[in-house]
Amino acid sequence: MKISLNEIKKLVQVPKDIDDKELIRLIGARLVEVEEVDDWSPKWAFINIVRVESCEPIPDTHLHLCMVDGGPQQGGLVQVVCGAPNVHAGMLAVWIAPGAIIPATYGNENIKIDKRKLRGYESSGMLAAADELGLGEDHGGIIEINPEMEIVDEGKIRKIRPGDSFADAFDLWDVILDIENKSLTHRPDCFGLVGFAREVAGILGVKFDEQSAIDYILTSPEHNARGLKSSPSNKEQAVANHLLADATDNAQGPKNSLSNKEISPRETTTSAGLSARRSAPKVRPDVVVSNGREISRSENPLALSVEIEDVEICPRYSAAVVDFTDAPRSEYFTRDDIFLIKAGMRPISPIVDMTNRIMLMTGQPLHAFDYDKFVAVGGSDAPKIVIRTAKAGEKLELLDGKEIECDENDILITSNNIPVALAGAMGGKNTDIDEKTNRIILESATFSLYHLRKTQMKHGIFSEAITRFTKGQPAGQTLGVLEAAVYSLGVEPQEVIDCYPSPAEPTQIEVSCSDINALLGTDYSKDLIIKTLENVGLVVEQASQAGSRAHEQAVASHLLADYAQVTTEHKRRTPATAGGADACPQEMASQLATLNVIVPYWRTDLHIKEDIIEEVGRLLGFDNIPIDYPIRPFIGATEDPMLALKNRIRDILSDRLNAHEVLTYSFVSKALQEKAGEDSKDSYEIVNSISPELQCFRQSITPSLLEKVYENQKAGYKDFALYEINQVSKKSYGLTNEEVPVMKTNLALVVTGDYYHAKAYFSELFNQLGISIDIVSNEESQPVELAPSMLKKFKLQGPVSYFEFALDDIVDVSLEHAAKNLRFSRFPSVSRDVTFKVKESTQYADVYQPLDQALAKTGLIYKLEPVSIYEPKENLEKTKNLSFHITLCSEDKTLNGSEISDIMDKVTNKTCQAAGGELI
Amino acid sequence: MLSVEKIKSSIKALNAEYAKIKELPPEERAAFGQEMNARRAELNRQLQEATDAAEDAEVAPIDKTAPSAPNQAIPRFNLGSKHPLMAELNKVLSIYSHMGFDIMEARQLDNEYNMFDTLNFPKGHPARDGYDTFRTSENFIPPAHTSTMQNRALRRYRERLENGGQIAVVIPGRVFRNEDADATHEHTFYQCEGVFVSKDATMGQMLGVLKNLFETYYGQKLNTKTQPGYFPFTEPSLEFLIEKPKSLGGKGDGWLEMMGCGMIHPNVLKNAGINPDEYKGFAWGGGIDRLVMLKYGLTDIRYFESGSLKFLEEF
Repeated sequence: MKISLNEIKKLVQVPKDIDDKELIRLIGARLVEVEEVDDWSPKWAFINIVRVESCEPIPDTHLHLCMVDGGPQQGGLVQVVCGAPNVHAGMLAVWIAPGAIIPATYGNENIKIDKRKLRGYESSGMLAAADELGLGEDHGGIIEINPEMEIVDEGKIRKIRPGDSFADAFDLWDVILDIENKSLTHRPDCFGLVGFAREVAGILGVKFDEQSAIDYILTSPEHNARGLKSSPSNKEQAVANHLLADATDNAQGPKNSLSNKEISPRETTTSAGLSARRSAPKVRPDVVVSNGREISRSENPLALSVEIEDVEICPRYSAAVVDFTDAPRSEYFTRDDIFLIKAGMRPISPIVDMTNRIMLMTGQPLHAFDYDKFVAVGGSDAPKIVIRTAKAGEKLELLDGKEIECDENDILITSNNIPVALAGAMGGKNTDIDEKTNRIILESATFSLYHLRKTQMKHGIFSEAITRFTKGQPAGQTLGVLEAAVYSLGVEPQEVIDCYPSPAEPTQIEVSCSDINALLGTDYSKDLIIKTLENVGLVVEQASQAGSRAHEQAVASHLLADYAQVTTEHKRRTPATAGGADACPQEMASQLATLNVIVPYWRTDLHIKEDIIEEVGRLLGFDNIPIDYPIRPFIGATEDPMLALKNRIRDILSDRLNAHEVLTYSFVSKALQEKAGEDSKDSYEIVNSISPELQCFRQSITPSLLEKVYENQKAGYKDFALYEINQVSKKSYGLTNEEVPVMKTNLALVVTGDYYHAKAYFSELFNQLGISIDIVSNEESQPVELAPSMLKKFKLQGPVSYFEFALDDIVDVSLEHAAKNLRFSRFPSVSRDVTFKVKESTQYADVYQPLDQALAKTGLIYKLEPVSIYEPKENLEKTKNLSFHITLCSEDKTLNGSEISDIMDKVTNKTCQAAGGELI
Repeated sequence: MLSVEKIKSSIKALNAEYAKIKELPPEERAAFGQEMNARRAELNRQLQEATDAAEDAEVAPIDKTAPSAPNQAIPRFNLGSKHPLMAELNKVLSIYSHMGFDIMEARQLDNEYNMFDTLNFPKGHPARDGYDTFRTSENFIPPAHTSTMQNRALRRYRERLENGGQIAVVIPGRVFRNEDADATHEHTFYQCEGVFVSKDATMGQMLGVLKNLFETYYGQKLNTKTQPGYFPFTEPSLEFLIEKPKSLGGKGDGWLEMMGCGMIHPNVLKNAGINPDEYKGFAWGGGIDRLVMLKYGLTDIRYFESGSLKFLEEF
């Protein structure tokens, strides 16, 4: 959303000591993230209004040779060549003088205009089209300015003339803020300039002037620039009554028209102190509501009737019939156009522009139907507006010519049940405004944002209007905005109807100053808090003066009783409520007194105490809250066992065993799972995946690692090991007692080497962890060398081997503080190498295990390390030699030669017996 | 330095001189002998020094600018690496740990209840759209933020409140958003959530904890500021920013958006069985990827999940 600072300044008096930079900083700190600040002011040097005095076609070209009057400062006519189709003598145009930068290129290419020759004719500068000025996309012709246009010059109104600054005349010394919409999702009011400005007032600590906001809405920028008002003051009051019927009225007095079906003129007082006669004679009183349906009983042939199928989908529908002939946009460029362009919108036609302008000001989108088409489509005598959800498959051709097929979520505006608009999104082709239109139905309504959100997604409509609707525009404003819209067309409505079956009650929230200060950690006074809330239109009620004082006294005396205790406690914990050592009890009592905050209808986001606390904290600046720290007992934080295990594994694999840790996506393709021999049907499948590559939640990590091995081999890496620790899941794991999928944390390691490489990592990991490898004994956890067919499928250069297992299986035994039994001796160790000759078919373990057991039986400290496995090339005997390196050490003495020989004999004999081999 | 030969001849001469001892009167012999011995010891020391020097001089001169001697293998380390995201996450977790926070890991498949309902997202609210969540056919959700663990954390440690203590827990986790990957966006990334609940938690305390976290992480004092934010699960809600630290080349000009934070919404406490009238809390969460990108000057977030050794070898 784009916000013009100049527009905000029309609504809020910004103190002189706050420059634009500071204002923008404050908006960023206290309202919403400002994504980009586009300062327009440097763009307009040497860009002035000129009159084209003569305009001759240059033969054989589309160009014209113009002599333009650039005003007294030019001292005569200047020659400019212009290629625009609409250039003509006598017109006022915008001239970019030599030396100026073309505004559209400002900040990018910075193209400077010079004197240059075109087809042999000298051209000084250029006459500009809107797009060249960076004002929208229009390049249909150069800008033409109404010679009757009036500007204010030193306090006096006069007609525009050559030499006037273009930026002066069109309010272009401006700064445009690009606002991050997402952070205002909960603030429909801020999607209108008035609502945004109200916040700016609150931020600046000044009370927002609601009455002048009404003037603002009713005054077009064109009029505003001349200091004129568009509409007579009685109309202003009518609108004011509908827009400003504020919370105080609703809460204290009898309900006014906003929440009253029986509309009758009556005296009402707004918070601004405005005493006005409710003059809403155009709102027809003769309507009845039955079962949420409003039925017209009028005999007036123009009479509208509105029927809302379900108030959930459309809480309020206001509409007016207005006689108005729409015309194509005039050839003149106006300040009303600039207003729209600053907001990033495009001028189209008077009615559309008016509805857009009112929407930008108030946040309330409007829609105009052609009255006659509307009636004809419905086949009824008078317009019968029926708002209902669509039937599945119901079709509607939209304004942009696209035909949509609706579903039961879409809300339709129908004429006597025939669809004429996709509510909140776009009007239908069958009732669009055209040059023949002379009577319109103007709609101002609110719809269920939940339905519209789905509609928006389903049909891909992202207009300014639906953006506002999907934030939940409040029902409170439809009628007032409708009236503002009608009046700003400069006509009287033929008919106004307002269907509001279940008017909303204003929200009331009770909060005390101490609640506010305790949560924020501040010590704001009651007066400051009340003022801050009232500045943005909230109404703050305190208990009646006498009652309040009595209450405060009561609280004060109670507090005095245990003053010492309270102050000591409060001083440390909540300086706010205590107010320091010498805090007076009366002050504390006033902090504790309850405030009743009445929320105006436009603040749909305020519901609970904490919302009010946020308002105070935010408007006064969260950055002004003093920094503090929680006080904590000296208790050590517990270690998460899985996290600790993962970190130990990282230390071992990366720092000691030189493997590389990688992270790969949790989502994989079905194709990958298939390649790896996994059953895709067992995977949780992402229904809205970005691509088929990311469709299934992975069941294991290894397939992803194998893909990375391929990529790294392709990049020229040869010997490496990759590992990843991450979560996996599959349906067959089942659900937890919380009804969510059981997740496992797997470790997978892939190494470019044969089976024994993976095995080496596997066993050394367990060795380093100090955990018995037997804990992970299940088949699927064991190291594997990829079969040739797998290597081929993954396009890998073999050998490649891997292992993957669930850390959940070992986390319980992996605790580092578990006892270990390390043995050391001060006596020297001796080593011996032994080699056994065994049958080729003998398994390694058949030798290793008995040897290990025999060594263990000696009671000595020993170490048994594999040295080699040798098979002769021509293995006629079918044997192999297994060599081991044995280290022995006694805890009691130095072993002598014969003792060692005895031990070795015993050990090797036992091994030979068990394995059926011989010692060599 | 004297040559070996010269010293040797000096020793010979000294030995010859020593023979004179017999000619001296007995009372002078002791002094003479001591003097001679001292001189011999000195000469022997010189001899050793000269011999060592001569021996060392035989070694060929070393080119200290070369990676190895001629014809020798260049010494190499075959180094492994930890993933930078995990390494940085651990650094952050260790700071939290020292502050006294428990750590609890987030799960990678969760449900609507934890992702939105417990966090006070009204059903069908547009805020639910802002998270661009993935869904499985069973309507499970790979979580779009670590806040999905808040309810579990509050429940798990609720007992501490009942025993007069506090809840202080951080939750790291992998999160997922349905958006197309480009240099600054990934559909898969890492976040770390924090939750603190006590009888008297304030926003001032939250700002203190966060400021201190980043000051400890960057090892310097930092200017911080906030922006209003909107999260259904906190009220008030803020964005927390730090001034670009000197270590990242900051010159007091730029601000970095580091995390979202706020006072825990009473409904969130209620949903976890904690009485919001009695207890207050604050919660915050921020991305880890961004910390790493800033630290190493990375401009493309997609490297993290690339599995490329070219990338990993740099860490």
